[in-house]
Amino acid sequence: MGTLSKAKREKRAYWFILPAVLCMLFVHFIPIIWGAYISLLDLDVFTLAQWTSAPFVGLGNFIRIFSGQFAVGQKYLRSIYTVIVYGLICIPVGYVIGLAVALLLNRNFVGRTLVRGLILLPYITPDSVAFNVWRFIFQARIGLVNKYLLKLGLIKEPLIWLVGDRALTAVIVASVWKGWPFACLILLAGLQGIPSELYEAAKIDGASPWQQFTQVTLPLLRPVTKTLLMLNVIWNFHAFNQFYILLGGSPGDAHVPSTFIMQEAFSNLHYGLGSAMAVCLMIVILILIAIYMRFKKGGVSYETF
Amino acid sequence: MKHSKQTKESRMTEQTGLVERKKRKSPRKIFMRVLLYLAVLLILIIILGPYLWMVSGSFKTSLEIQAADVTRPGLEPRWIPRKFTLENYANVNKTVRMLDYFRNSIIISLGTMFFSVLISVTAAYALSRFNFKGKELFALGVASTQMFPGIAFLIPYFILFTFVNRYLGIQLRNTYPGMILTYTTFAIPFSILMLRNFLDTVPREIDEQAQIDGCSPFGALFRVIIPLSAPGIVAVGIYSFIMAWNEVLFAAILTGRETKTVAIGLLEYITQQQARWSGMMAACILVSIPVLLLFTFMQRQIVEGLVSGATKG
Repeated sequence: MGTLSKAKREKRAYWFILPAVLCMLFVHFIPIIWGAYISLLDLDVFTLAQWTSAPFVGLGNFIRIFSGQFAVGQKYLRSIYTVIVYGLICIPVGYVIGLAVALLLNRNFVGRTLVRGLILLPYITPDSVAFNVWRFIFQARIGLVNKYLLKLGLIKEPLIWLVGDRALTAVIVASVWKGWPFACLILLAGLQGIPSELYEAAKIDGASPWQQFTQVTLPLLRPVTKTLLMLNVIWNFHAFNQFYILLGGSPGDAHVPSTFIMQEAFSNLHYGLGSAMAVCLMIVILILIAIYMRFKKGGVSYETF
Repeated sequence: MKHSKQTKESRMTEQTGLVERKKRKSPRKIFMRVLLYLAVLLILIIILGPYLWMVSGSFKTSLEIQAADVTRPGLEPRWIPRKFTLENYANVNKTVRMLDYFRNSIIISLGTMFFSVLISVTAAYALSRFNFKGKELFALGVASTQMFPGIAFLIPYFILFTFVNRYLGIQLRNTYPGMILTYTTFAIPFSILMLRNFLDTVPREIDEQAQIDGCSPFGALFRVIIPLSAPGIVAVGIYSFIMAWNEVLFAAILTGRETKTVAIGLLEYITQQQARWSGMMAACILVSIPVLLLFTFMQRQIVEGLVSGATKG
């Protein structure tokens, strides 16, 4: 076979990737770029049919978001604040529970395989199912949470969880329940990658179990931890299902960017303004990805997710 | 005499000390074991609690749930239904058109599964077996789609649908093909990367031999590679099915009366006027069953796919 036929052969690869490329262009890349353009228009339901005639407002939408004079902008900034608070609690708590359980499951006990299978249950449950069940659990008058809080004497009156100030707490509890098994799964794989000789050597050197944990386990889990946390931080800004389902489609004060943009674009029909908010969200995520790539270069790769 | 007695005594105390130490150690060990099992029990309670509550709720009468009141000792919500009933399952289609939503979800998920497997297997084959210009860019593009939040392209995507309808006369919104196209694209990035890992483990010599024997690359793919990578393909298919079954954000905007999926349909049990929790719990169980079955069937492959990146150097 000559070089020409080889080059010809390699060119056939383009036919193989063509369907995937077309799909991703149509669904991901063209909309993302187009969305950036729409964010400069005052596109609403009246101009949607004739979008070329939608008034070009330049950075007008962005000014409405950031000037602090418009309620919609303040609410959007508040939604970013909410999602950050949400992540700052959910990610560390999920990580610590995941790590504790992974350490536990790394020991030998009767029924370990069964428990290992069962911990995946929250992770694989459809979001729509899990958060609807939690919505039931958090109901004020008929819910389990209030039942036990009253029983324990921690509250005197049933609390309203899903509206107002406590909505974020409820979402965090449900999200931690749903999210920690993923961290556990990854950390368990990381733990199993640590050679047992290292622990034996540490024992011979007289290290206590706590010292073994801090001197052997934690440092060797660092690469896995780094990628896990960075991915969680990026995905945190995608948060939608838990807020949308648990809070019944109207998160009120507990809006996150995804739910707020959805409401602004599809209920209030301000497509241009919604796009501008989406662009801001993308910029935040792109910055995080840039940091992630920095980290990735120095450490382990985690390509699939 | 005296001396030997002393040593004997000391030896005895030494021995009792040894026994004591042994005794002291074993209760401690037992204690640790008990603690371990208690911790496991706690984990199981936390994991299974919401599940049991869902199951119990699905067997309660709607009257029992509506009448429950946490402040009244006699009317507290209970784990064991006061009266077992199957009416929630029998009436699952009565107030909410759940069976229609099941049909929609099955059609959309099966379509997504089919196209996602077809598209990702060819793309993964290209990544695994060919060296073409732009390969790195393609791989990067595939991986980067996982980082975009859905809301960032939902608005323009929705408008794109409007324009495709207006200028090409093709209705995509609220149609099966539109939803299958959307979900197929959501499923292919992970599928491609997973299948690429899988294909890399199939020796190159096998398909090279097939090509020497006169197969085209396309023929080699279908006659040799696909049969050999059946487990990976099944895993990717199941992943795609579950993804389409579970998706919420795009389904909330792009589906309508004719194509609404189960994930969105569940929300209809709760309206401003009425909360049908028992019906919703029964529907929740029915919605979970296909996912749990498929996942159990392919647990090992999917989990391996998930963690592969973390353990690789």
